[in-house]
Amino acid sequence: MRLYVYILRRLLLMLFVLFALSLLIFYLTRGLLPPTSALAAYITPRMDDSAKLSVARALGVATTSCPSFQAFTSLQNGCVVPVWEQYGAWLHNALTGNWGYSLLPNVAPLTPTWDTFWNRFPFTAELAIAAAILTIALGIPLGIISATHNNKLPDHLSRLVSLGGYSVPQFWFGAVLQIVFVLYVRVNGLGLLSTSSAVATSCGICFANPGTVTTFTGAPVLDAFLSLNGPYLWDALLALILPALTLAITSVGAITRIVRSSMMDALRQDYIILARSKGLRERAIVYRHALRNAILPAVTISGLLVSYLMGGVVVVEIVFSWPGVGNASLAAANVLDVNFLELYVLVTAVIIVVTNLLVDVAYGLLDPRIRY
Amino acid sequence: MTQQDRRDEEMHGRRADFRYALHLMRGNKLVLVGLVISVGTLLLTGLSHLLVNPALANQQPLALRLCWNNPLINWGISNVKTCPTSYPLGTDAFGRNLLQMIILAIPVDLQIAFEVVASAVVIGVFFGGLAAYAGGIVDEVILRITDVFLAIPAILLAIVLIVVLGRSLPTLTLAIIVTWWPYYVRLMRSQVITEKEKPYVERLRAMGASSPRILYIHIVRNSIYPILIQATLDIGSVILTVSALTFIGLTPSPLLPELGNLASQGIANIFTAPWLILFPGLTILLISLGFNLLGDGIRDIFDPRLRR
Repeated sequence: MRLYVYILRRLLLMLFVLFALSLLIFYLTRGLLPPTSALAAYITPRMDDSAKLSVARALGVATTSCPSFQAFTSLQNGCVVPVWEQYGAWLHNALTGNWGYSLLPNVAPLTPTWDTFWNRFPFTAELAIAAAILTIALGIPLGIISATHNNKLPDHLSRLVSLGGYSVPQFWFGAVLQIVFVLYVRVNGLGLLSTSSAVATSCGICFANPGTVTTFTGAPVLDAFLSLNGPYLWDALLALILPALTLAITSVGAITRIVRSSMMDALRQDYIILARSKGLRERAIVYRHALRNAILPAVTISGLLVSYLMGGVVVVEIVFSWPGVGNASLAAANVLDVNFLELYVLVTAVIIVVTNLLVDVAYGLLDPRIRY
Repeated sequence: MTQQDRRDEEMHGRRADFRYALHLMRGNKLVLVGLVISVGTLLLTGLSHLLVNPALANQQPLALRLCWNNPLINWGISNVKTCPTSYPLGTDAFGRNLLQMIILAIPVDLQIAFEVVASAVVIGVFFGGLAAYAGGIVDEVILRITDVFLAIPAILLAIVLIVVLGRSLPTLTLAIIVTWWPYYVRLMRSQVITEKEKPYVERLRAMGASSPRILYIHIVRNSIYPILIQATLDIGSVILTVSALTFIGLTPSPLLPELGNLASQGIANIFTAPWLILFPGLTILLISLGFNLLGDGIRDIFDPRLRR
């Protein structure tokens, strides 16, 4: 199979996955519970029945021919729109770019879901990218050191980090970091690092008044960089450190472990003995000969890691009150906000599926033995 | 050689294999640590209701809330309330003894973890084996379904499921099973695909064994080890997931002694009563570390590349 045929096939599969996922989420939020539960978040005690009925009609749960709210709640014939019709209407709207209104608390009424989502998404993207950078920057060197110093102190330490990394509850690790940096490591009477908001104004080494930045992307670090506001950039980075470290800890463990075992495999190969007998320096052997071959398994699981990170943001954002989409998705699930959940799930799925595709393509490019 | 002889020889071979595995295990200190922690956790699970009266979980002596009297740890925070009597790990936000609550919580988490992993293994073995052995359209359908579930972060699907199905321990378990099985299907499938090409399968087929018998008795018996090792490793991961879900508020009751639930009281009092989140979290870390060490060690022992 040619490469582009392969990519095309995978993209078609992605469309299927997205369709199935949207159907699944829609069925879960709208199909399993009685139709009145879709209204729960909109209804206030003061509403009379006709107002409730018009809410139900606006949501697309009740038909226009439904005579009264009582008829709707007693599921009278022809009063409740079947779930598959609701899904059809939602799908039609979504495909034409109308993602409905969001139900989230703390969001002004009648804010489109699309805006709510994309206003929050840059924060999550920033957090996930920072965690991915930390994962690579910590995990790969730890794995290499572990393999080259097999069964010596550095190996034991890095194995401890990797074992601890995938055994530690992320919420707890985040909380411990907060306790340490707020209660115990203090500068000028303040906690060293900021722990909760996106840009710090109350931490030991922050600028008290970092000024403002122009919103180019919505992600504080990038915006500060583009607006050339140094203090704001510093504060935004300080606010990012602890959540990113918390999010990265599990994947650091996974990457360290994979790199360690594949490096140990690679260092045992004949071509390493050849390289040694040629008299190459140890650095060249490790980095040019062994690492090149050992990095492939790490590339393979990076698709899985993206899935880890996208799931991890939910918990980490809650622990650090990070104003991203992960935090909002829990609130959305609690009020059965189907619009927000669908958008969140679909965007996440696109990210995960596309990463997996890129990983598979990169794998083929890195390893000439692999053919599609 | 009679069939009985062959069976004896096979048994002997297996026993020798097992003895060799034990021998390797003795040389690996980390596995022993993992074994001790896992067995200790299991013991504690069995004994917890004898050690602590479960009714204590429902008592809320609110006057005793958030107090601390363990002289070995000085938190260095002002306004830490001292308890009138001895509570080794302090009291929680309802005034209950935190140590007792942790002991009551361990069986809850462990039970969910075992239920989830066992169900995932059964589903994985059944459908993964089926996909690999049948091939063709069956394989394609099963794979595409796992694709759908693997494209969404497990925790998000679990959140939606729990909110919709209601907050209770069975739905929590169910929600995690729904997100967990695809990995086992994939793993089992890849195992069976290599296993089914081996000569003994051909021989069984020639002897007239039925396909289900070949697949679910013979092939499964020869390809189950990686699945079981993964299952041991996953006990820890499931406990992490359960506690994360209850931590973010998807809990049947805030009073339920469950490790994530206990920790979630702590996040509200994090800077005034750090012990509330520290100790339940530490327990989770220890249990999951124990099962991970055990699983890692068993994998090393059964890995033919590292053997002999």
